[in-house]
Amino acid sequence: MKRRVRSQNLGGARAMMLHRPHPTVQALERQLTAIGLQVEPCWPDLPPSVMTADFVFFDADYGHDSQFPWEAGEAPMPLIALIGSEAPGRIEWALNAGADAQLVKPIGGSGVFSALLTARAAFDARQALAAEIASLRQRLDQRQTVVRAVGMLIGLGKSEDEAYAQLRAMAMAWRISFEAAAERVVAAQRPPRAEGGRDE
Amino acid sequence: MKRQIDLGLLYSRSGSYVLISEACRLGVLTAIDEVNADPALDIRFTPVERDPGGNLDLYGPLCEELLQSSTARHVIGCVTSSSRKEVIPTLERARASLWYVVPYEGFEASDHVVYTHACPNQHLLPLLRWSFERFGKSAYLTGSNYIWGWEMNRLARERISEAGGEILGERYLPIGSTDVERMIAEIRATRPNFILNNLIGQTQYTFLRAYAALGQLDPHFTAQSCPVLSCNLTECELPAIGEAAEGLIAAGPYFRATQGQPTKGRFGSSHEASGYAAVWMLARLLNGRPGAEQLPISSLLTPEAAAQIRVDRHTHHTALPALIGQVRAGQFEVIADFGRVDADPWLTQARSEAGQPKLRVVP
Repeated sequence: MKRRVRSQNLGGARAMMLHRPHPTVQALERQLTAIGLQVEPCWPDLPPSVMTADFVFFDADYGHDSQFPWEAGEAPMPLIALIGSEAPGRIEWALNAGADAQLVKPIGGSGVFSALLTARAAFDARQALAAEIASLRQRLDQRQTVVRAVGMLIGLGKSEDEAYAQLRAMAMAWRISFEAAAERVVAAQRPPRAEGGRDE
Repeated sequence: MKRQIDLGLLYSRSGSYVLISEACRLGVLTAIDEVNADPALDIRFTPVERDPGGNLDLYGPLCEELLQSSTARHVIGCVTSSSRKEVIPTLERARASLWYVVPYEGFEASDHVVYTHACPNQHLLPLLRWSFERFGKSAYLTGSNYIWGWEMNRLARERISEAGGEILGERYLPIGSTDVERMIAEIRATRPNFILNNLIGQTQYTFLRAYAALGQLDPHFTAQSCPVLSCNLTECELPAIGEAAEGLIAAGPYFRATQGQPTKGRFGSSHEASGYAAVWMLARLLNGRPGAEQLPISSLLTPEAAAQIRVDRHTHHTALPALIGQVRAGQFEVIADFGRVDADPWLTQARSEAGQPKLRVVP
């Protein structure tokens, strides 16, 4: 997949910085401001307004799960870990918290912009995958409905291939998914009047 | 009694982009002379020079050596973005600052650099919008093979596509290469509405002469129907291009012939003017503050000081006029003026792009 990275809409974006006031993160605040973001430092708790933040930077050294008002890995925005200690346990915790990108402390003048773009791209990719998985799951759940619809059409004298072809034709004519067409057939408890069906 | 302050200069006095180096250096030295002769200032700059000779790998070591062998904490220099990126780690270690006085591709705001020339929302974006209306939206993109050309063309590609235009070709040449035949042949075959020129040095001069020769063969390839647009071309390189420069269009913050400017005709080019301005900005930051010459630039740029020398404290960039010039009878004439534009190095501020021209278009 080739991604196009865009930076225009970073202007005015809100970034929460879950880190105690410390010189190692001063440069982060400066750099975010230079890029055009509004920065809100907070520690140890995230205020309710975090739910509408565009990015959250969090301290991987002293952070813990109960600081986040969401389940681990289910943040509604991209997360960026601020890593000081590279102890495996801390990195594991940051990953499980759902870090989409990371910055190593002390944070200097560079790396912040790429962390923002990387985190957003990773977050978007994860969201898109989650949506696709949910849709595939739903289609899997509908397998039984498809089998029933095909069975009903076979009961009306079609071969199995013809029954599938008719369902596909109905789905195309109604501009819905194959599974949704099967659902309609089953719900109607009777076959449609004509192949191709009629638009509702 | 004036305080002696070492001031680093890091310009290549030979190599592909020597004309730009020399223009910047001239502006810097002119300003140093003025500061040193000014009885109202309590400082006197002593230039400490190193010459990387156009060799990218020498910038880092020479910058380090300069900072170690003198008391300089400010360096003026670097022309290519690659060389600027080479010295930033050295500056960070030494808590020193670079004054970078040439146009660049944006997407940087180092705490250790002050950027006194234009970035894309001050050069490329106004130039593209202006050109779309006049010439069309199909473009051929050229560049020397390093970050300036790559990033400028990426941005141009993005903006041209958004505007519904078309990229008919995009080609790069190594710095110093004069192998421009293929570019010229592709341009001839694709017949774009304009050419974006991000070539530098000898490659650029060779390309522009070859393109002028193409215009002799086919009248489509002239400034009226298919101009060459640049964002870093100034008067300092016109002698190397010769007659082939006629009709070239460039964006920049200053042109020698700029009408109505108090500095009209004072500087040879915006490169020279920018080097000159950088020295004076630094002089104002240090004047009357003994010991300030050892402070990092972030400490020098207090809100009051930043406002006085007109540097944005957050980005270390400057607000600059966005002008478009065209070479007519051998010199740049300003043909469009978008007014003073704040720098937006990350292109994150929707409002920061120069708006409609203030209609001071010279016929």
